[in-house]
Amino acid sequence: MKKLLTLLFAALAATCLLSAQTRIDGVVSDEHGPLVGVNVFVVGTIDGAVTDTLGRFSFTTARTGELTLRAVLLGYEEYSLVADAARLRSLQIRMRERAASIDEVVVTASTYSMGKSSQIKTLDALDVVMAGNSCGDVVAALQTLPGTQKVGENGRLYVRGGDSEECQTFINGMHVLVPYSSNVEGSAQRGRFSPFLFKGMSFSLGGYGGEYGQALSSVLPMETTDVASSDKFGISASLLDWNVGGTKAFRRSSLSFNADYTDLGLHNALFPDRADWTRPYRKLSGEAQYKYEWDNGSTLKSYAGYDCTSLGLRTEGRELSLVEHNVYANATFQATVGRGYRLFAGVANSSVFSDIDNALVRGDHYHNFRNEVHLKAEIRKSYSAVFKLSAGIEDYIRNSRTQYDGTGYVLDYNLLGGHVDAQIRLVRTLFLNLSARAEKASYSPVWTLMPRVTLSFVPGKRFQSSIMVGRYSQSPEDDYLARGWGRLGQSTADHAILSLQYGTDRTVVRAEAYYKRYSHLPLLSGGVYTPDGYGYSRGVDLFFENTSLIRNLMLTAAYSFNDSQRLYQDYDAPRTPSFASRHNLRVTAKYSLGKIILGLADTYASGRVYQAGTTPYYNSLDANITWLAHPKVIVYASLNNLLGRTNVYRINPDGSPVSENRDRFFYIGIFVSLKNSKAYDIANF
Amino acid sequence: MTSLISKKGILATVLFLMVSLFCGHAQDMRELMGQSLSRLQQPTPEAFLTCIAELKRIDAMFPDQTAPKYQLALQSLNYAVTNPHAEQTEGLLSETEQTIEALSQMPAADLSDVYTLRGFLYMTRIVQDPARNGQRYYLDVIQNYEKALKANPDNTLAQQLQEKFNEGMTQAMR
Repeated sequence: MKKLLTLLFAALAATCLLSAQTRIDGVVSDEHGPLVGVNVFVVGTIDGAVTDTLGRFSFTTARTGELTLRAVLLGYEEYSLVADAARLRSLQIRMRERAASIDEVVVTASTYSMGKSSQIKTLDALDVVMAGNSCGDVVAALQTLPGTQKVGENGRLYVRGGDSEECQTFINGMHVLVPYSSNVEGSAQRGRFSPFLFKGMSFSLGGYGGEYGQALSSVLPMETTDVASSDKFGISASLLDWNVGGTKAFRRSSLSFNADYTDLGLHNALFPDRADWTRPYRKLSGEAQYKYEWDNGSTLKSYAGYDCTSLGLRTEGRELSLVEHNVYANATFQATVGRGYRLFAGVANSSVFSDIDNALVRGDHYHNFRNEVHLKAEIRKSYSAVFKLSAGIEDYIRNSRTQYDGTGYVLDYNLLGGHVDAQIRLVRTLFLNLSARAEKASYSPVWTLMPRVTLSFVPGKRFQSSIMVGRYSQSPEDDYLARGWGRLGQSTADHAILSLQYGTDRTVVRAEAYYKRYSHLPLLSGGVYTPDGYGYSRGVDLFFENTSLIRNLMLTAAYSFNDSQRLYQDYDAPRTPSFASRHNLRVTAKYSLGKIILGLADTYASGRVYQAGTTPYYNSLDANITWLAHPKVIVYASLNNLLGRTNVYRINPDGSPVSENRDRFFYIGIFVSLKNSKAYDIANF
Repeated sequence: MTSLISKKGILATVLFLMVSLFCGHAQDMRELMGQSLSRLQQPTPEAFLTCIAELKRIDAMFPDQTAPKYQLALQSLNYAVTNPHAEQTEGLLSETEQTIEALSQMPAADLSDVYTLRGFLYMTRIVQDPARNGQRYYLDVIQNYEKALKANPDNTLAQQLQEKFNEGMTQAMR
């Protein structure tokens, strides 16, 4: 019995010895000093501690002998030490900041984004709707950003001294041939797409990667929302348009529809303008979307939209009548295909039919049909934290037919393109993006090769600077191509951009300088178009945003200086294009008062140069108010050009000024959700 | 007889030692988690931070298990939502974003839980700065809770959080 007791005591003693507590302590620091919040622990146990404000830690462990001590802190490389437990006293642990992986760093130079990315300037659909003078139009909202030019007579996007055709729109990566609805001169055109269709936009003002082609100046890629999680049904009405739409959500998919009728008749009756309308601007449109999401993350998104625009106008002794039908459809599929490869495939079709009676003279008729099929496939993979690669091919198949009083043309051609993009982390804070894009137009024997390079210095989350250089190409517009067939090739633009940006949660500052050199622009010479046009555009864009000066107030200021000249189209000498103004300034303020949000915006643009003279400066002070009347009802009203200034957009060759059809524009709309689990959600998609 | 006792004694000693070793050094994951979570009976900020640090260690011990990641994300969000402006909150939320992403990549992860955590993360962002983040994230909160309940209508956490969020929205808009 004594022996047994002795053995038991011995066993207890052994157990006690085995669970003897060993103290581990020390200090954790990095090159700047002590680190707080570091989780220091013995691997394989929960024995550990978190460092205090002086970087100190101390804890005990039951482990003895050799063990692994680990220190972990977000943004730092993991620290491990294998040593005997008894020797882990008064440790001095030095941690190193972890370099961001290539997937974590988003180079934002020359790009403004919408959505919840970490990019510097973010807008969401409601921002677009509530932008000072946008009236819910994406294009108008983007014109509050630096680098865009105010061209009031058509409202299109003109970027950094480039023509509006040089800015191309993409939905889910697929090209949109005609992103604007038609209108007459002096009345702003609107984008065809509602901001509520999209969860993200990434407006690039130049220097974009190899994925995007057929755009000399800028690209506007937009990504539609994901599969809806609940049913929706809503209506809206305003002085201009009436809308009904809804979504049916299924387990893995959703089906949406939207119908809209716009008629300026009522608005013109209440607030007459200077135009002599025989038939007010009318547009009937319908859209449908179907989306499917597989469990493995693969997604299918499809969109189809149709609209018909019609208007009639008495002008210069004739009755102009316009009817336009526009069809756009796309389908994209994305999947992870194994070993980390991500596959993208898409197809899009754009068709536009335009008919204009009395277009230029009484009794004439203009007919235009344009069609584009865009096919695209791309594969992407992140090979490591320092290297990422994507490659793709695409084809634009275009068909165009124009007839005007017995004359006209028929065009059939395609544009084949391929690209490779490599993103490389050179050192901890230096990132290189190398792209190569090649394009071949079927009407030209020449391949266009376009190298593009971006070097970015990203020392932290707040500051980054980039240098971008690259070549971009675009096929001339069909009217020029038809009159230069066999001579014209693709026009090119070489971009060089220097970007500096600093951003905190409350303040964003960005400065960018750019230089663009245009070559092979279509130039009228001897009645035909030749590729001898050229030009340049250079300037500086500045952007400032702040949300901390006054509570609930968001202020933005965007200034652009542009100096550009070109010899193209029917110019007889190099000159500043008539759409380019030297100085553009936009200041906006948005103030929230609980359920009421007030917006104010002022837009200034210096005069534009025409051969017969220079226009006076443009200025418009716009105001809007949003009232969140009920979780299912939103009322929005805006008044553009509060001061009623008559802005002149053009100087005719005889010296007479051309101004907008109306000085002020008033808009009021009510948005009602009849079925929606979300408050203040006026999107039916 | 004596030798018999001796043999039994040795056997007992060995067994005792083995049990002691097992209890001392091979604790079950759930036991460890339970031990760690029991600190939250007194839910002070310090208790939360200690618990979160321990859950990180448990996660490092069992990297292939979903439970530690789920609890780690959940307790981090619980801390962040009750201490939205604390010094540690921003870092914790960044880590939580990564944890949820890692959890969503695991084949064994419960999709409903992942959506719930995502909704909770966006909700916490709104609590941090309602004026700025409310408009930006409210749809994400609602959609993630809806997806969570679509995947599992009995997910009580998602139900509670959704209810709380709707209450908050109604109050904010009054």
